[in-house]
Amino acid sequence: MDNPTKDTSKTQELTYELRVKDAMDVNFITIESSTSMKSLREILRKKRILGVPVADNGQLVGIISIEDYVECMENGNLDEIVGNVMTKNVITIFSDEPLINAVRNFDKYHFTRFPVLERENGKIVGMVSKIDTIKGILKKLEIAYDDKHLNKFSTRSLINDLIADKICIELKYDVEGGNFEKAGNASTRLKKSLKKLGLSSSITRRVTISTYEAEINIVSYTEKGVITARVYSDKITVNLEDKGPGIEDVDKAMTPGYSNAPGWVRELGFGAGMGLPNMKKFSDEMTVNSVVGKGTTLNLVFYLNE
Amino acid sequence: MNLKEVVEKINLKVISGELDKEVSGGYSSDLLSDVIANAEEDNIWITLQTHINIVAVANLKGLSAIILINNRQPEDTTLQKAIEENITILSTELQTFELVGKLYELGIHGNS
Amino acid sequence: MKLKEIKEVLEADVLTDNYDPEMEIALGCSSDLMSDILAFGKPDSILLTSLNNIQAINTANVADIKVVCFVQSKIPNEMIIKLAERDDIIVLSTKLTMFVSCGKLYSIGLEGCSYLTFEE
Repeated sequence: MDNPTKDTSKTQELTYELRVKDAMDVNFITIESSTSMKSLREILRKKRILGVPVADNGQLVGIISIEDYVECMENGNLDEIVGNVMTKNVITIFSDEPLINAVRNFDKYHFTRFPVLERENGKIVGMVSKIDTIKGILKKLEIAYDDKHLNKFSTRSLINDLIADKICIELKYDVEGGNFEKAGNASTRLKKSLKKLGLSSSITRRVTISTYEAEINIVSYTEKGVITARVYSDKITVNLEDKGPGIEDVDKAMTPGYSNAPGWVRELGFGAGMGLPNMKKFSDEMTVNSVVGKGTTLNLVFYLNE
Repeated sequence: MNLKEVVEKINLKVISGELDKEVSGGYSSDLLSDVIANAEEDNIWITLQTHINIVAVANLKGLSAIILINNRQPEDTTLQKAIEENITILSTELQTFELVGKLYELGIHGNS
Repeated sequence: MKLKEIKEVLEADVLTDNYDPEMEIALGCSSDLMSDILAFGKPDSILLTSLNNIQAINTANVADIKVVCFVQSKIPNEMIIKLAERDDIIVLSTKLTMFVSCGKLYSIGLEGCSYLTFEE
């Protein structure tokens, strides 16, 4: 119970956030106190339940269970009405209480179900069981793990949790040359993944802007290429390889504004000679190895401690 | 409005050409085909393109001047061609958004 | 400045299903060259462009720009709209030219990115 692992604390956090009303079962039945014990058996059997709350005009007056029925049967009291046999001192919970209180009650009283009351008027509005509680937490976890909430995770803590001398998460993307409609597909998928890994938006932005420029180059000038991003605990590296025509004069290509882009690339919004300068601007380290006729390899490094 | 007045008021650098011209309005685009299709005579053209083709476009459309944004310098071949063809090239350290904002404030309007 | 004020001044149409009239837009930037946007565009700005292709959306996405307004009656195709919605980018379209759009937004007080250097 007092296992101080991260999972437990996350679950506890959620059970504090969740209210009883988020988890309670509203499809419950009640019976009136004037119901005969004879008909109780039939009700319990039909509904496949072991007990039922007793309410008159919506107000909870007690609870009756199969054990009470058995006791009546043994004592030959089956002509009694429910109101005279039921437990009147019922443990209840209000719908606006934190779900954690229900969890505590399960432990404390060893009951598996509690009636849930509306605080203002004391009317019964639902039943909460251990199963309902678990379902509520799972549902909440599902929401918390949704895309928009993924930033709660941190890569560094993930990496720290894993045990090795060196850890790296590798993300690989194939790039199809010449297909301008698909250009950017690798970079935007990389961006999504970096966000999922919990990296800050500023480092994510720097990495994906640089990768996007490089991807556009692969699409514009080569038949295909491969982008490999590696996330370490202290840095991200991006390696881009293509089997394209190569860059004749790398220094010249690094000059802002220098471009030998064909007209079609310019009309598509690129080719203004800013690609390599942008990659250099947004990365911490950049190396270009290019062999004319063979291809180009580009390595970019981004340090996480900005 | 006179081009000279615009240059003085917005503090533009003169790279080539003369300033004794009228400005009929402004057009901002980095796509040459768009300028060819939509710019009007005596428009002042705002762009970040420095390629030699900008001179041909300015000539073709009879534009008043080209303003290069963000401190961009024309390529050597572009400058040479601009001098040959007597095309006015100006430059600014501003980005398009602010430069156009200032021109608009001066009373230079766009084409409808 | 709120996005609804920008929409009004540009007489723009909303093309995506994620329009948020109360979204705060800090800066304006306009270009048809995407590398220029990548180099100088800032998060929380609106991108004005006449570049009607999928790369305008990808550029906005990687540069953390949340709103793209196509100028001069450019209407992107269904595929571009779908991509924008997937990446949570709001897309507008105005009949005004780039020149008039920038001029009008500047005149109601939207600032540009000129004097900001990129520091992160």
